[in-house]
Order: sequence, then structure tokens, then C-alpha cells
Amino acid sequence: MKRRAIWGMIVMAGNLLVQGCVAPQPPQDLLAPTEAQMKIRSVQTRTFDYQDRARAMRAVIAALQDLGFIIERANEPLGLVTGARFAEPNYNDVVSVTVTIRQDTAERLTIRANAIYNNKPIEDPKPYQNFFATLERSLFVTRE
Amino acid sequence: MRRVVLAGTCLVLSSQLAGCVTHTQPEEFFQLTAESPRNKAMQTRFFQTKDEAELLSASAAVLQDLGFQVEESVQDVGFLRATKERSAREYGQDITRFLVAIVSTPLVLARSSPVILPVDLHQKIAATLIARPLNSEATRYEVRIMFYRTIWKGDGTAGQSAIPPGAQSMEMLRDPVLYQTFFAKLSKAVFLEAFTL
Repeated sequence: MKRRAIWGMIVMAGNLLVQGCVAPQPPQDLLAPTEAQMKIRSVQTRTFDYQDRARAMRAVIAALQDLGFIIERANEPLGLVTGARFAEPNYNDVVSVTVTIRQDTAERLTIRANAIYNNKPIEDPKPYQNFFATLERSLFVTRE
Repeated sequence: MRRVVLAGTCLVLSSQLAGCVTHTQPEEFFQLTAESPRNKAMQTRFFQTKDEAELLSASAAVLQDLGFQVEESVQDVGFLRATKERSAREYGQDITRFLVAIVSTPLVLARSSPVILPVDLHQKIAATLIARPLNSEATRYEVRIMFYRTIWKGDGTAGQSAIPPGAQSMEMLRDPVLYQTFFAKLSKAVFLEAFTL
């Protein structure tokens, strides 16, 4: 009886050791873009017929502020804006967003927004639609 | 005695549940709310000036007068971020802590320590400010500032479990007086500096 138990333990320990030795094979599609990634990127990106990148950047900042975001970082040469806000009324959760503004051609620029809820990316298209709706209003007002 | 224990656990459990109830759904984010225009009006003032750099440095000076340290500044987009750290002790919280401890002393009979509420110890108040031109000639500027704070709590106990010190909570500061004070000082500074030219 006792001997059996000991044997059992040895077999178990051996199993564990063997499992540690099998080298995990990296999957072929490790860094390949997935369908979901492409979809989320298209949701996060909008192109605007707008010439003045500096002004677009200020419009982005104004839109974020209207939405209650605290601007944390802004970099004019790179066209980067980072902001965060508390998921009120819940003060323990944080929503943060990074917006990049890139001039494609002289008349067009691309704006991309990435939003994170606590440490999870927001993949639902609705928040991005809301954001771009506010941004469009802000772009339009500053153009006047 | 068993009742006391039951009541104690109910209290602790309900206080933990309270944190879970009000989760906003992600769809609501990035949407203007009913309070947005009111907040905007409170946080924004307009200034007639041509010199953006002057407006920004006057803003930085006012923040310094209010005890803030400027942490980050980007002149290209008219951006300033400043913080100040202060004690967050309030007598009210200490009195509540004491009373709750007294009331929960019978828990000792149940071999459990009395409930000791953590109090706010330290806070970091921060401000972000954006100045942006309103017209293409850049003769009219909008200054928008937002205040918020992070609070660090002290230690406490709830039943058997100890609450470690350092728990954080954050909140936006929406007291109009705070914003009025800042803008009163800023308009004075802009006015004075306009005359020194």
C-alpha cells in the first residue's frame, strides 16, 4: 500500500519533469494580423479633408476636453495626444485614449484613436463613433 | 453573539458590493452628457490677446502662485500640466473613524477586531490647462483648465482583514470657486502684463 503510494508519487513527479522538457512550438501566425485587428483599426481610424494639421490637433484636444478627458501629454511634431478620465461615477476605473494625427497628403489627414478601459482595449465600435462625432463638431467649429 | 458576527459580515459584504454596482457601460464613453456644457462653461474663459506665449507663461505664473509645480508644458499646442501635493486630513473623517471603532467594539466578543475605517492621508491635486486661438488671426484665446486629485488612504481594519495603507481614489474637482479663483488671478495677471508692455 505504502509502496504503491510512493510509486505513484514518483510517476507524477516524472510526468511533471517530462512536461517541462517539451519545447513549446511557436505558432506560425504569431505576429500575423488577425481579422479582428484589421476591423478594430478601421473602427479607430478616420480620414478628413483638412489641411491644417496643427489646427486639427487643437480640435482633437478640445474634443477630448469636451468629453471630460484630462490631457496628459501632447506632442506637436509627432501629432500625439494622450488623455484620461475617470469612468464616472465609478472613480476607480480609468478610461485613457491616445490620438494620433497624421497628414497623408496636403489636403487629407488621418486621425486614429485608441481607447483603453482600465487595462483592456475598447473594441466596441460605438465609443469610437461617439468620439469621432464630437471631433467632427470640434473640427468644424475651429474652422470657422 | 452570532447575530453580531452576522451583522458585521453583512456590513462588510454590502460595503464591498457597493463598489460593484455602478459600472458605466463602455458605450456611454465619448459621449457628451448633460453636465458637459456646464463643466465647459465653468472651466473656460476667453482672453483678448495676441501673444499666446505671454498667456501661457501668465497661466504658469498663476498656477505657481496657487502653489502648483509645473510638470509639463508644450508650447506648440498651448498645454500646461501642474501638480501640488498636500495633506488630505479632515477632522470629520477622524471623528467618523473613532465613532465607528467605538460602535464596532463589541466585535471583540466575536474574536474579531473592531472596524477601523481608513482615512484620507495625502492628496495630489493636478491641473491641466489648454490655451487655444479662437479665430484665424489669433487675437482671441480660450483658456480651459481642469482640476482633479488623487487621494491616498491610511490603514484600517474591517473584521478580521486589515486594510493596507496606500489605497487610492481619484476625483475631478468640480467646485466652481476653485475655477473662479484661478481665472480671477489669471485675468488680473494678463491685464497687468498687457500694461507693462
